[in-house]
Amino acid sequence: MKDMILKNRYTLLVTVLATYILVVVVEGAITDRQPDWLKFDNSLFTLDVRELRELDGIDIDF
Amino acid sequence: MNKFQLIQFQALLKREVLEHKNLFIWAPVVLGMLIFVIDFLVLSALSDSDYQRFLEALTRFFANGDALTMAPAFVFPTLPFLGIFYICAILYLTNTLYQDRRELSILFWQSMPVSNLKTVLSKLVAIMVIAPIFYVAVIFALYVVGILWLILSGMSYDVEVAGLGYMFLTATLSLPIVYLFAVTSALWLLPFIGWLLLFSAFANRTPLLWAIGSLALVQFLEGFIFDANFISNWIATRSDIDNFLIVDYGGVFDRLFSYDMFIGIVIGSILIGGAVFMRRFVD
Repeated sequence: MKDMILKNRYTLLVTVLATYILVVVVEGAITDRQPDWLKFDNSLFTLDVRELRELDGIDIDF
Repeated sequence: MNKFQLIQFQALLKREVLEHKNLFIWAPVVLGMLIFVIDFLVLSALSDSDYQRFLEALTRFFANGDALTMAPAFVFPTLPFLGIFYICAILYLTNTLYQDRRELSILFWQSMPVSNLKTVLSKLVAIMVIAPIFYVAVIFALYVVGILWLILSGMSYDVEVAGLGYMFLTATLSLPIVYLFAVTSALWLLPFIGWLLLFSAFANRTPLLWAIGSLALVQFLEGFIFDANFISNWIATRSDIDNFLIVDYGGVFDRLFSYDMFIGIVIGSILIGGAVFMRRFVD
């Protein structure tokens, strides 16, 4: 097994990438990971950029 | 780790700094000088009365505040330095192992009593722990020069400059936060670091293209063939700045001791392990 993985650089790369993808997919499936873009939450400020979409309904006359 | 190994590792770190002075030292120095010149030009454009009012406002603001509470506000002006640090880190990580093979210096290092693991670890420590020290040192030097300039000009305008001392104290107290931010974000981004190192050790040419292209291909195949988005979600979570942005000391512990940090380190270690084994193959 070890000899097969370390046969050449390509087999090693494929093995490492396959392990990486497997762990990411299994972890993602278990934790149901969802990205939380556009949201900032820290001690200085809290900002959810998605909420800014509510401003779309405001009409401004120039 | 015995004394010999410690000295050996220290020498490896020194080698990294000496070989990458441009990325570790000169990049932040040039940026610092650029920022100082821009600030100088902007403040020089003010009239005497406006400049005096500006100094008085600064002095009043910082004289009445608590330095430790206001320190986080000084993290934001350092973001250009952190931006340049990340760009330099990407350049460093994509080229460092590739360069060793291209110059064939890998043959020299492999003839020395230094393992591939130690070499790769020295590169990780250099970019994650040592490089931010230089960046923070340059920011500190910029603060010292800036505060001296403000104090001298304040004295020439008869402004009470005591508040500027508090401003300097506030700025200095923010520097450990900046350093911890850089180190913690590097740990958070360990999967990206591992990815870049893996392709730096693998590619025969253009490692950055290999790294970006492979990432795009994996994402595309996942969506196109399996109609899933586990990898896309993983990448989006990792690159979301809110997950590693630190603006106060408390934020460091929240970020460091979390499940997401742990799983990131585990997955990053898989890729870094791959990079270590990849160094066996020298063309």
